[in-house]
Amino acid sequence: MFVYLQGIITLICINLLAVLGLSLLTGFTGSFNFGQAGFLAIGAYVAALCTMKLHAPFVVSLLAGMLASGLVSIPLGYPTLKLKGDYFAIATLGFAEAIRLLVENLEKVTGGSRGIPSIPPLTTLTILLPVTLACIWLVRNYVSSRHGRSCVAVREDEIAAQAIAVDVFKYKQVSFFVNGLLAGLAGGFLAHYVGFIQPSMFGMAKSTELIVMVIFGGMHSVTGAVVAAIILTGLPEILRAAAAWRLVMYGIAVVFIMVVRPEGLMGSWELTFASLRSLCLSCKAFARRLYGRCFHGIA
Amino acid sequence: MGLLRIRNMTKNFGGVKAVDSFNCNVQEGRTQAIIGPNGAGKTTIFNLITGIYKPSEGEIEFDGKTITGHAPHQIARQGIARTFQNIRLFPDFSVLENIQAADHLRSSYSLFHGFLPTPLRRRQEQASRAHALELLHLVGLEQRFGERARNLPYGHQRRLEIARALALEPKILLLDEPAAGMNPEETQGLMVLIQQIKDQFHLTILLIEHHMELVMGLCDFITVIDFGKEIAEGTPEQIQANPQVIQAYLGVEE
Amino acid sequence: MIWQQVINGISIGGVYALIAVGYSLVYSVLNFSNFAHGEVLMVGAYMGFYALSALHLPFFIAVGLAVVVGGLMAVALEKVGYRPLRLRHAPTLYFMISAMGLSIFLQNFTIVTIGPNFRTYPDIFPTHPIMFGALAVGYLDLVIFVITAISLGLMTWFICGTRLGSAIQAAAYNMRVAGLMGINPELVVSIVFFLAGASAGVGGVMFGMKYTVYPWMGNLTIKAFIAAVVGGLGSLPGAVVGAFVLGITETFAAAFVSSAFRDLFSFALMILIIVIRPGGLMGVVATEKA
Repeated sequence: MFVYLQGIITLICINLLAVLGLSLLTGFTGSFNFGQAGFLAIGAYVAALCTMKLHAPFVVSLLAGMLASGLVSIPLGYPTLKLKGDYFAIATLGFAEAIRLLVENLEKVTGGSRGIPSIPPLTTLTILLPVTLACIWLVRNYVSSRHGRSCVAVREDEIAAQAIAVDVFKYKQVSFFVNGLLAGLAGGFLAHYVGFIQPSMFGMAKSTELIVMVIFGGMHSVTGAVVAAIILTGLPEILRAAAAWRLVMYGIAVVFIMVVRPEGLMGSWELTFASLRSLCLSCKAFARRLYGRCFHGIA
Repeated sequence: MGLLRIRNMTKNFGGVKAVDSFNCNVQEGRTQAIIGPNGAGKTTIFNLITGIYKPSEGEIEFDGKTITGHAPHQIARQGIARTFQNIRLFPDFSVLENIQAADHLRSSYSLFHGFLPTPLRRRQEQASRAHALELLHLVGLEQRFGERARNLPYGHQRRLEIARALALEPKILLLDEPAAGMNPEETQGLMVLIQQIKDQFHLTILLIEHHMELVMGLCDFITVIDFGKEIAEGTPEQIQANPQVIQAYLGVEE
Repeated sequence: MIWQQVINGISIGGVYALIAVGYSLVYSVLNFSNFAHGEVLMVGAYMGFYALSALHLPFFIAVGLAVVVGGLMAVALEKVGYRPLRLRHAPTLYFMISAMGLSIFLQNFTIVTIGPNFRTYPDIFPTHPIMFGALAVGYLDLVIFVITAISLGLMTWFICGTRLGSAIQAAAYNMRVAGLMGINPELVVSIVFFLAGASAGVGGVMFGMKYTVYPWMGNLTIKAFIAAVVGGLGSLPGAVVGAFVLGITETFAAAFVSSAFRDLFSFALMILIIVIRPGGLMGVVATEKA
């Protein structure tokens, strides 16, 4: 039971890292990234190859995976982020497909569609959990800083953002790069947890899963992304029987959310001391009213 | 010596000449207006000045430096701030955050400080918040600092947009139809506000307007354009008496 | 040998053109990329497959069925997934996400209900090639080409030659003003989606006939987008031009470099166009009114 729980938490953390990046890029900056799985794949393969072929220590492999994924975002983002969001969305989609194709066909290096087996299971919660928490903390700080405000300005209205001296292109690039780093890190951890990697693990289904988490939790809230990652990673594990229908439900859920409540679960609500306090206060006020009504009703 | 000098500026959109060899000089410290019938090219001129469009021909000089073809955010940084005809606030932000988003002088900390809660960052955030509240007080919105910008009534949204532009500490403020949709009372209030901020911040003002009381009441100098070309220039008295202006606006009497 | 590749290229280019035109039509009127467009193609392909193999309907009835079903389905998708957003003036991002949701739903619903197996159309046409002088053209390719040409021709006639078509063009230019001029925007949107869906339906049958039918055929949307970008996003003739350019160059790349890299090549082509000439071959420049 304990091992099972550890497994779920590990998967949650890995997904969370990838979702954090997506939350920043798509949620806060408004650039729709359809191909997160591609970045995960880069992180996973580079990290795995470093460990297995270069016998690098785990930390170095992880860093290499992170950097590779982050650096790829630069040439990819340069032409596409200057244009309308549609171009970027399709470019990321094409990118993920391209990575999968490359991986499948560079058999000598990547093992083709059979992938890389027997990766040492170096991912443990003692490393993963603090790293994940640190990343959540860092992203939260960024989002509440003036840079975060500039990202949101870019999302809300690019022309107005430019008029207040926000370098729209630069902020999109930064978000894209950070997203690359986080996804690459997630990929590295993933490779060293599952023990093997194959191109089929990094297809549309994975990208979809991750984007759905961001949408579900609320694109404008890091807390939302965290909560959604927890729920949507944990839930399917428990409901494993309905796996095939899971994506069908996701599709319906996404449309439903967009039509009914595009802010997602959390909207723009962030978990801070201030917001917790005000939540507690309103709960108390509600309870008091309920109490009063009950007793007035009886008397 | 003009603060803003526009020389022979032309803008073509496909086959349409939206702006045609436009010339304009805005002296420092003036309140100047560009007026003309709808579709004359006024907002296009603003968009050209602020870098949203690149001129097909001609040059724009600001504070002695050429800004033709520069990126919009760079031009904003040079000291040109603007408001928009169709109010472009950040709807999801609070009133306060809208202003803070524009304050790059008070909060200028680097990406490094963006990721970590350093003392420098805390100080700058406090300064920017204080500055934003000051500006909100100036436009009479400080009580509503926490509200979502999209929930503000129309007149207040316009004021907020002006306050946001001021956060940039600009040298020149471009106002695109600031009194659009306002009743006479609100227009009066706006005129008072514009004069107030002009005096307080030593601004140069360039505005596009259709409300003639505002234009005639506030401005030192007026440029009239039609079909993208300037047809008259001068003081309010001169413009009011100019037959070409009357013809362009009102048609010729038979 | 080269000639055969050109034929293949034109063939697939025609299919791309059918999808790209529908895609561009929606884009030019509503200003967003309908990522669920490919799923209509998929439904059209399956529709045609069942019409021919299970119901044994004549070929043209099968195509007609795909047209109607495709068109109606596209309209239905619009009402469910886009109309509520349209009425709320939601940002483009939300449309794209909703489109993604519809796409995911349809793809996976098909996988779960009908099954992930590849289906092949029954051989309706003779498999021997037709000789034009010394050059051999496959019978099937000829049929595809003719049907594609007719479909595109009909669409062009409708948009350029009829009043309703002019209304659509007006709406494409400025929806709000067109509304003020007495054009019913809801009707325009429904017609646009019907046309897009209809052409996607035909495209689906064509693709299914030449290749195979499978649930994630919808990923051809990417090709449609690339074609539209290559030709010039927002331009209908551009979509057609871009589609044929893409079809031919992609086929050559697959034949003479490596077939595995076909999709990689298309992607690279798109990036190249974006970098060198973002307005596409027809040079469409989209500026936002400030």
